[in-house]
Amino acid sequence: MVIDAAEIRQRGQGSDQGRAPESPLTLLRRRIDGRFQVDAFGGDAQLMDMLGWALGLAVRVEVEHAERFPRTGGALLVANRGVGVVEPAALAVGFRKVTGRRIRVIGAPDAPVLGDLIRKLGALGTHPSDVAALLRAGHVAAAPLAMTWLRNGAGAPPREMLAAILGFPVVPVAVVPGGPASLPIRPWRVIVGPIVETETDAVPGDTLAAAELAERTRTAVRRLLAAA
Amino acid sequence: MRVLVTGMGGELGTRLAQLLEARDEVDEIIGVDFVPPRRRLRRSEFKRIDPRDREKLGDFVAEVAPEAVVHYGVYEPDSRLNQYDAREFTEACTVSALGAAARAGSLERVVVRSGLEVYGRGPGFPMVPDEDAPLAPTTPYGRSLLEVETMAAALVRRLGIPVASLRLAPVLGSHVPSPLGRLLRLPAVPVPAVGDPAFQLLHQEDAAVAMVEALLRGIDGPLNVVGDGAVSAWQVVRLGGRIPIPIAGPVWSFARQVAEVAGAPVPPHVLELMRRGRAGDASRAAAVLGRRELRPTLEVCTELYEWGTVTPLRRGEQAA
Repeated sequence: MVIDAAEIRQRGQGSDQGRAPESPLTLLRRRIDGRFQVDAFGGDAQLMDMLGWALGLAVRVEVEHAERFPRTGGALLVANRGVGVVEPAALAVGFRKVTGRRIRVIGAPDAPVLGDLIRKLGALGTHPSDVAALLRAGHVAAAPLAMTWLRNGAGAPPREMLAAILGFPVVPVAVVPGGPASLPIRPWRVIVGPIVETETDAVPGDTLAAAELAERTRTAVRRLLAAA
Repeated sequence: MRVLVTGMGGELGTRLAQLLEARDEVDEIIGVDFVPPRRRLRRSEFKRIDPRDREKLGDFVAEVAPEAVVHYGVYEPDSRLNQYDAREFTEACTVSALGAAARAGSLERVVVRSGLEVYGRGPGFPMVPDEDAPLAPTTPYGRSLLEVETMAAALVRRLGIPVASLRLAPVLGSHVPSPLGRLLRLPAVPVPAVGDPAFQLLHQEDAAVAMVEALLRGIDGPLNVVGDGAVSAWQVVRLGGRIPIPIAGPVWSFARQVAEVAGAPVPPHVLELMRRGRAGDASRAAAVLGRRELRPTLEVCTELYEWGTVTPLRRGEQAA
């Protein structure tokens, strides 16, 4: 059984372009009439666009090297994270501003009702096979490194996840507060690095290649942070 | 190729037989089920056997000595049989038909029907499982499907032949008897009050075509067959012009009783679909079964509501 990975990767492209917010009345009417889109991962396009718009107002972001963000197809963005949700939010806002695409943030809890609600807003569970399925469907996911609380630098990379998605581009990103001591006086800075090199012949599940990729990704994020 | 189709009396089994009749590679089509086929078949032979009569079924299959078996004799609870009968019929049909076919000696390939229910919806398992995901069914139907798959997989070890198990998303269609379809077509439908998870569906035509393709290409191993996109319960119900009734927690058992009285019993796997969603990653099927586009889930839903059992009088027509 031969599967053309490139062909799989092409499926479902272009379906994740965000739309401009509608008037509240139209929005409500669409909600009630069921004229909205959900996908297999639980994401609700309309709610994702709404949240993206609201976050865009709340979090100011400056993107450096914006041309390195992937415009089409599945990709994994790996970014550093402090303790909160601000870094993933800043990354999501920056990515959306530059590419107009919706982004899925990995880390939804695996709980029946709460998990469903958070997934509707564009989050995704942490299961590696779900992330792989998402990328195969042509979406972009943002994975955080392990939390670095009261420490600086890059946390441990999600190695299992990288093993599942081998073959897709992995983009390192550093998210740093603009002002001193994380004060919201200057916009957040999102610094995008070049795609992390992988073994070209690695297939999903190759643990060694994944471990190497994880280390390279971590180093790349660390370098970006150091240079910031 | 001499093909035995179990469960030919079902809507999908009949359609499958029709599609097989159109293929030149298939010389003979022999079907068994406990009800006759639902449409006219031209060159298929059909034998009506109750699967619980294991000896009779086994003898018949041994006599046929099929080269290929399409095992559609997997019965969904509350589709045409109640939960207990569905389980018993499925088990009996699988054991006798597959067992006898294997003993007859000329078996070359097998395709069995399975479902996404086989993955279950337990915590800690993937939401959109691919074929390599662990099988941890959480409903009786899912466990029944897992049993069928395990028995079919035993044939691989014994005979070394390709055995494909097609894990179909819930099949809804204008004529398919299905507990989910009946529930969604009630005038007022219970939906989850909060959460409202997404699920994916499959068109009956795509289900039948996928089975034929899997058979003729001799595919080995499991394969998810799922329509593109997804819907949520609230969305489907509103698109069908029905009234959604938000239900939460323990009220579900009451809602199930009301639905059953209204003619739509809700078996556990349908309840699980409504409350926890159901999805599967079908990228492998797209690559393996050819580039044939599967009908999107949303289209399956629209078609479900277009099927009018009773032709409603619209305002314009009333005057005529």
